[in-house]
Amino acid sequence: MGLSDMVPDRLKVGYPKLEDFHDPNVITTTADFIFSWARSNSVFPFTYGLACCAIEMLSSGFARFDVARYGMEVFRPTPRQSDLMIVAGTVNEKMAPVLKRLYDQMAEPKWVVSMGACATSGGPFYDGYNVVNGVDKVVPVDVYIPGCPPRPEALFQGLLELQTKIKQHSFAPKLPGAQDG
Amino acid sequence: MTLEIGTVTLGIDKIAEQLSGAFAGELDDVRVQEPDTVVARLERTKLKDVARRLKELPELAYETLNWIAGVDLGSQLESVYHVYSWHTNTYLELHVAVPRAKAELDTVTDVWPAADWHERESWDMVGIRYLGHPDLRRILLKDDFVGHPLRKDYVDLAENHPHA
Repeated sequence: MGLSDMVPDRLKVGYPKLEDFHDPNVITTTADFIFSWARSNSVFPFTYGLACCAIEMLSSGFARFDVARYGMEVFRPTPRQSDLMIVAGTVNEKMAPVLKRLYDQMAEPKWVVSMGACATSGGPFYDGYNVVNGVDKVVPVDVYIPGCPPRPEALFQGLLELQTKIKQHSFAPKLPGAQDG
Repeated sequence: MTLEIGTVTLGIDKIAEQLSGAFAGELDDVRVQEPDTVVARLERTKLKDVARRLKELPELAYETLNWIAGVDLGSQLESVYHVYSWHTNTYLELHVAVPRAKAELDTVTDVWPAADWHERESWDMVGIRYLGHPDLRRILLKDDFVGHPLRKDYVDLAENHPHA
């Protein structure tokens, strides 16, 4: 069961179809839908390759796998222009404060994908003398991708799950005691 | 000045012979390990002097330091120097034993400047203190790391895991 299965039906909104764009030339929709739809389809990932997962992340950017199909091909080298931090590799104790700082420098809204076993839990280096056992000890993580390293297809599935999560965003203020959804 | 690699063709056995002749009483256990590598042992007090003379040998001239490795053998530590001679296109591997209780050794940065970062790494990982090094800091681990993790008796400390 993926994240997309957990979205309640009332939140699943269909895309406007091309044939609906003729006269009358007006679309009515909700702010929730239009903003989340736009955000989820132009995610700018931050180039945060730390180890061998970075090779898979980079290869998914090129023509053979082509992350551009999901509108995520613009890898930015600066946190100021990124929405998504793909932590691809082992985070060590020396890197953790730097990672935190770069995360803090990213503009809201921002998301974090933990790619591979190392970023998720420390992986094969779990007992390492200088390894952080999971990037979620440092920054909040939205999607975890298993694998060592995950293939680009696995990364894409994770990114699609992230898109689903972004689409769930609601601008309405949450009332105390209200059900999450 | 152009440098032609391997212009001096002596043969590795001849080189080993020359070395044990020129450094009699200093290099012990001189032997040919591979077709292009001579291995020798050296006492740590003689390291700096021998290093300088190795670099200035007329024909062999070990001018290039490839790497330094810090090793923990359990009973003692060891610092291994891997040097290269352009003229003969051969290597020399120097094993210098360092006692565990007093892990100190002279630096060779003034002979081979390339030793700088390698000695820092060896200090960082194995904890061999290179006396006379211009800037002996940790190079791989963070500055406030406690202990030297590649020592056999290193125990993982909670203070080295602030993000656990």
